[in-house]
Amino acid sequence: MEANASGSEKGYLPNRLGVKGWVWGGRYTIERYLYTLHRLTGLGLLLYITLHLVMNGYRLSGAESWTDLMELFGGSGFKVGEYLVMAAFIFHALNGGRLILQHLGYTLGSPKPPIYPYGYSMRRRRPIVWVMLAVIVALAIYVLVEFVT
Amino acid sequence: MQDLSFKVQRYLPGKDKKPYIQEFTVPFRQGMTVLDGLIYIKENIDNTLSFRSSCRMGICGACGMLINNFPMLACHTPVEELETARVEVRSLPNFAIIRDLVASLDPLFEKHKSIKPYVISPDLKEAEEPIAEFLQSPDELESYVQFAYCVKCGLCMAACPTVATDALFLGPQPLGQAYRYCTDRRDTGAKERFREADSPHGVWLCHLAGACSEACPKGVDPALAIQLLKRAMVFDSLRLRKKRTPASVAQPPAESKPKIDVPEFTVK
Amino acid sequence: MKETQLKILQYISGIGLFFFVGAHLLVSHLSSGDPTTWESVLGRATSSGWLAFYIILSIFGIYHGLHGLRTIILEFSLPNPAVKVLDWSLLAVGLTVFGYALYIPINAFIVG
Repeated sequence: MEANASGSEKGYLPNRLGVKGWVWGGRYTIERYLYTLHRLTGLGLLLYITLHLVMNGYRLSGAESWTDLMELFGGSGFKVGEYLVMAAFIFHALNGGRLILQHLGYTLGSPKPPIYPYGYSMRRRRPIVWVMLAVIVALAIYVLVEFVT
Repeated sequence: MQDLSFKVQRYLPGKDKKPYIQEFTVPFRQGMTVLDGLIYIKENIDNTLSFRSSCRMGICGACGMLINNFPMLACHTPVEELETARVEVRSLPNFAIIRDLVASLDPLFEKHKSIKPYVISPDLKEAEEPIAEFLQSPDELESYVQFAYCVKCGLCMAACPTVATDALFLGPQPLGQAYRYCTDRRDTGAKERFREADSPHGVWLCHLAGACSEACPKGVDPALAIQLLKRAMVFDSLRLRKKRTPASVAQPPAESKPKIDVPEFTVK
Repeated sequence: MKETQLKILQYISGIGLFFFVGAHLLVSHLSSGDPTTWESVLGRATSSGWLAFYIILSIFGIYHGLHGLRTIILEFSLPNPAVKVLDWSLLAVGLTVFGYALYIPINAFIVG
């Protein structure tokens, strides 16, 4: 496919939604926004891993550097960040597990000849998403309680 | 219901730098569709309004538009179902605008062609000069017939978040159709289509947002087809894909003796 | 079927991360006592089991993260010649980060 497949070579007006289309493309249902959140948590975790590796390097500077760094990270701002990272991991991991299964066609059912009013596989299997979200929320609350107490 | 307010996207190339919204008042009629409203505007208010339509019964896929922020077929959308008197109509997103509500579907057709959307028969002579039908069981038919209902309207491509940024991504419609042909037992072109779908802008940029299946007006469920295509490709890559013989051609009926002795006709 | 193979590795690393990061979080954030004290860190640093754990965790994490980043960058209509440049760049970044991620626990294991 040519890179200029947008039609702009013929003088038509390009009309691609762009990155805005990842976040808001219209009135869609939950799976569209789970995709957006999966992407956001993934990028957040990638950023965190980078900082985490840098932080781990302080181990090589000895006990004093390490202890000072841990004291800095004991602040409430860092604790909130730490909780957000854990919540992001919980979401990304469980949603990722659902995605691995569904990407390989499992838990989606088999093709059915369409009879009006049309349904589709992801809507029929939406209870899986609700169960997954319930587990995510439960785990996030459990971790929050552990952090606070 | 009171009179409807149609906010329609207008754009005239060469005159307008960017699209703008023009408002029209359309009298409500029981059972009218969004397409009926657009035809009313064109016939009675502004005959310069441009849009595509053909069958007006949801089978040709020509009238795909963004209606109240959701891609729909204008002929297939009763105004009452929108549950509002304000109808906003724009051209399909992710497709270049030719004029007003007319979008260029050329990228869709080019990508559709690239996945070879036809049965690739192992026997070229049979393909050129068919002698009989192929034998397929009802189960084999059911494995792909849902995906054969695609009318190439482009609503799935308008809904897809990956198509929103990636002009090179094949898209839900071509990928769904690739699976439709790969799973058809009359076809032997799966490897070629896998190669096409295995590109950096192929099937693996689908992240199961599901918007394509939600938008599809014919119940084709392209998201399901794409995930089944992924499964087929993963199994093929791991050499776990079951080999299957292509569908055979029906044999002519064998001559058989009549079960009872039929007397000769007396009248010759 | 290069893209399919890369995606299979993404799935495997994802499943691996589920267990490895889950265990890491349980030990580092949710266990009783303070696992971030110098003594506790030193205890894990000098254990060969934990060394192997951190090496595998690094492999899974770096591959999974960079492959995800590659997917996002590809979605900006990156033409095919630029995809090769992207792949080699990410490989270089990944190997560098992995080298650093390997250096820390191995150094801690040897030196103490």
